[in-house]
Amino acid sequence: MRRILAIARKEFLHIIRDKRLLIVILVMPLLQLFLYAYALSFDVKQLPTATLDLDHTTTSRQYLDALQQSSYFKVDNVLTAYSQTDSAFESNTDKVVVVVSAGFGSDIAAGRAGNIQILVDGSDANSAQLGSAYAGALSRVFGANVAVSQIEQKGGSASSAGGLSAAVRTWYNPEGVSAAYFVPGLIVVLVTMITVLQTANTLVKEKEAGTYEQLIVSPISRIELMVGKIAPWAGIGALEIIIIALIGILAFGIPFRGSVLIFTLSSVLYVICTLGMGLIVSARATTVDSANQLAALIGFLPTFMLSGFVFPLSSMPVALQFFSYLFPARYFMVITRTVFLKGGSLAILWPQIAALALFATVIVVLAASLYRERA
Amino acid sequence: MSDPTGIVENAIDVRALTRTFREVTAVDDVTMTIPRGEVFGLVGPDGAGKSTLIRMLATVLAPTSGEALVFGHSVVSDPHAVKPRIGYMSQAFSLYGDLTVQENLDFFAELRGVPRRDMAARSERLLEFSGLTEFRKRQAQFLSGGMKQKLALAATLISEPDLLFLDEPTTGVDPVSRREFWRIISGLHRQGITVFVATPYMDEADRCDEIAFMTQGRIILRDTPAGMKQRVPGRVIEVAVDDYHEAMPVLRALPCVSSLEISGEMLRVLVAKDAGQCESTLRDALASAGFAVHHVTPSATDLEMAFATLIPAARGAADTSDEDILAVAE
Repeated sequence: MRRILAIARKEFLHIIRDKRLLIVILVMPLLQLFLYAYALSFDVKQLPTATLDLDHTTTSRQYLDALQQSSYFKVDNVLTAYSQTDSAFESNTDKVVVVVSAGFGSDIAAGRAGNIQILVDGSDANSAQLGSAYAGALSRVFGANVAVSQIEQKGGSASSAGGLSAAVRTWYNPEGVSAAYFVPGLIVVLVTMITVLQTANTLVKEKEAGTYEQLIVSPISRIELMVGKIAPWAGIGALEIIIIALIGILAFGIPFRGSVLIFTLSSVLYVICTLGMGLIVSARATTVDSANQLAALIGFLPTFMLSGFVFPLSSMPVALQFFSYLFPARYFMVITRTVFLKGGSLAILWPQIAALALFATVIVVLAASLYRERA
Repeated sequence: MSDPTGIVENAIDVRALTRTFREVTAVDDVTMTIPRGEVFGLVGPDGAGKSTLIRMLATVLAPTSGEALVFGHSVVSDPHAVKPRIGYMSQAFSLYGDLTVQENLDFFAELRGVPRRDMAARSERLLEFSGLTEFRKRQAQFLSGGMKQKLALAATLISEPDLLFLDEPTTGVDPVSRREFWRIISGLHRQGITVFVATPYMDEADRCDEIAFMTQGRIILRDTPAGMKQRVPGRVIEVAVDDYHEAMPVLRALPCVSSLEISGEMLRVLVAKDAGQCESTLRDALASAGFAVHHVTPSATDLEMAFATLIPAARGAADTSDEDILAVAE
């Protein structure tokens, strides 16, 4: 115990004396938090839009007014002929062109569906996808309103009018705020980056500095060395989670709807996983460079790409989806998003928590055996 | 298993110890014993295997084959009985540069289980005798080369080991610090601590009780410094002459000269023991060749001269038969 404390205290001194490291631990996460939450906003607002009214009726103008008034579109270009749509895209002035077909007004008046074309610039995939979704949703809302008023004029009830109307509603994050989506995910990514990378480095640094031999000739067991080395990083990992969570809640107004206990438990399990992964890298790597690369490979990349942080797992090739199950990040990602945005009880989250517990056990056993054999 | 003092006579007992790195045999079948309380010097060129041998004895590196006992405990099967009794100072500075002098000492004291009540007194004493007391709050990376080495020694000594492995401890250290360092080692020797030191410096080897010469993974010579010098067939004459470089072929041509070396601004000439009045022969030869001779005086054989003459002979023996090397080494 005394030796473990001696190692832990020494590690702590290394950390607080290393200015660059302190910046990486304290400033980088904040920087990333603000970067993801603001600059890299995936919310689409004020999308530059061109309109083309081929109908020229009161109804078509009403529709385009509604479009203009929504904050999602900024109508900055009114076209007069269909042939102008190409140049609107090519000059990069507009991302979306909304075309009201001739006969729109009379179709609506006759109780049929009015025809709207939405053309999007596919070279900006994100804006295109959201733009078409918004414009589509807007059309449906507008169409439903018209239908409802007509039915009332006829003296019937809305439900008896028949026909299907699909409505998209985003629950838990109804306004589609990126921050709400990213902050819980960012906790996973940042904690992984820092804990895996730093523990991967810790032993390799000693090997490069020659101090490792001094540790080896000391009467300390590998397990004591391992525990002492990761203890400060376990603390820093916990601190990191708390800081990002608090900033998310206080500065970005992210809700926390779930159980603190579940969140704490799974955080502990996850940090054990990442520290263990770092130790495994440290046992294998011979230079700081190779440790960094290995850490990025097993820590950062899967967490960033295969956890559902940026890219939805369900839209990935099946092989990659299976591959993603091999990294603990995806389970913790589900847990953080659930506890922040949805709530979620043990009854719902137990498979993820169980998976994390399994990963933690396997990784710790593996790391410990790697260390023992390297006696 | 403990070993009450006196039962195991030898601090180190090495048996056919071998270590290979892929194709290269760094340490090749070394067998030797080192008695307790001795200052044992290991000399030899770079790449001779000195560090590899020390690292195996210090339990840092596992041998490929063979066995080594330190105070009767195997470094292979029982390293945990060895570790608490030894101190190891590696060739490179191996302390934490971002920790202060005091923090380094405290860390190694804690790590090696120095009793808490002894810690303060011991580090005080070690700081005192290494002259680092006033630098205790300084980060180790900001110490001079000599101070770093003294701190490394102090950190090694904090657990009061019975056996000290020093791998070229004074390489890159100024002469004053080197002398101080050896003053400390002499003090340890008086306390009965066994010291195993690898050194490239002949003046340091001269301070050891016994020295072994290692080359190509083998120990080909072992003796006391005096014994080494006595083995040299002949005596040394010191010659001070202008243009000593040009004078060398003149001297080499003389039948009584068996070898010569440059030492500073002078030449050291090895002549056969029975070569009588060799001094006048040297002086006359140089004078008749037109060199201005300042003095020609008998001098003592030094280790450099001893190795220069003994090693080719020992190598020759090594090439012909393995048994002979052992005979030389014993």
